[in-house]
Amino acid sequence: MKRITFLYLFLISGVLIAQNNAVGFKEKLVYTASYNMSGVLTDLAEVTMQTNTVKTSRATLLRLKCTAFTYSKWDSFFKIRDLYETYVSPNTLKPYLHNREINEGGYFKNMKYTFSHKTKTVKAIQTKKNNWVENETIAIGADTKDIISTLYTLRTFDLSNLKSGISKTFTVLFDRKEAKVRVTYLGKETIETALGNKVCYKITMGAANSNAINGTLWLTADANKIPVYGKFKIPVGNGELKIKSASGLKN
Amino acid sequence: MKLLFTFLALLTSVLAIVFSVLPISNLAIFPALAALFFSIVAFYLSKKAGRVKKIIPFTIILTAMALSITAYKWAFTKTEVINTKSFEIKEDKLEKEAIKELEGIDIEIDETDLETIEFGD
Repeated sequence: MKRITFLYLFLISGVLIAQNNAVGFKEKLVYTASYNMSGVLTDLAEVTMQTNTVKTSRATLLRLKCTAFTYSKWDSFFKIRDLYETYVSPNTLKPYLHNREINEGGYFKNMKYTFSHKTKTVKAIQTKKNNWVENETIAIGADTKDIISTLYTLRTFDLSNLKSGISKTFTVLFDRKEAKVRVTYLGKETIETALGNKVCYKITMGAANSNAINGTLWLTADANKIPVYGKFKIPVGNGELKIKSASGLKN
Repeated sequence: MKLLFTFLALLTSVLAIVFSVLPISNLAIFPALAALFFSIVAFYLSKKAGRVKKIIPFTIILTAMALSITAYKWAFTKTEVINTKSFEIKEDKLEKEAIKELEGIDIEIDETDLETIEFGD
């Protein structure tokens, strides 16, 4: 009987690892996006990653919202008002609906993905300036997610016992095309942030079919695994994402 | 040589002024430092030749102005996001529309949904 109980507990704990124990339901993470040229930082925009629960008559879902607003000094030159949101299962972060509304320097684009996991398809509606609408049904793989739920899914992994160099490939649906993204764990690193000195898991991201690294992310090495610092490549120089504040964390 | 340094000093000081009035004002430090260097060399070469053209002190004044604007903006410009009210209204509208749409989607959230996910291919 004891053995069966232990076996049951072991199996249960195995399942629990997969659950979302990291992303809170009223979480708000605020970042400053900057442009780094030869060590001189120029603040460009404020990026906010927020979560809240949404109730329908059938289920309670988690809304993952990500906004990017340029700072006022940039607004008259290149105004950005971007919104990315995904409605996901609170346990597995499986996406059901994804909205992307971007307004970047006068360029507008809205994209809506409605996921059907039974038929493994996504109904995509793209709207551009002058109400130019395009409908498309895209066949997807079993693990395909949108960019926002993929970013949040990274936080649900147990990275504590991993060896550096281990990679995982994710399939991300972006601009109505599936793209393979390779995420590689590089080990732990202590960095200075606005929240204090943090021991972090360092991970890199890049296209699966090339060795080029497009971005590096530092997630706190605690139960929340919040991204506190990010570095990404842009045509001239580097971009940086630094955390300003964090509230409503789960743990 | 004297002419080349004078031209470079003028070019970089104008660049420093342009950068200083743009939102990337802190990058004005690079052309400003270059302008100072070229101006000093041009001044030294001109003095050696016996005649300092008025354009050289002018480039130094331009550079000093660029540095002053940059310093002022660095000290007094607030880094803040404004005018987001209309966007917030749009966000709320989008959420309401999404909830309506989600009502019509087949959502199955049960224990079988809890797939085992591990890091590593």
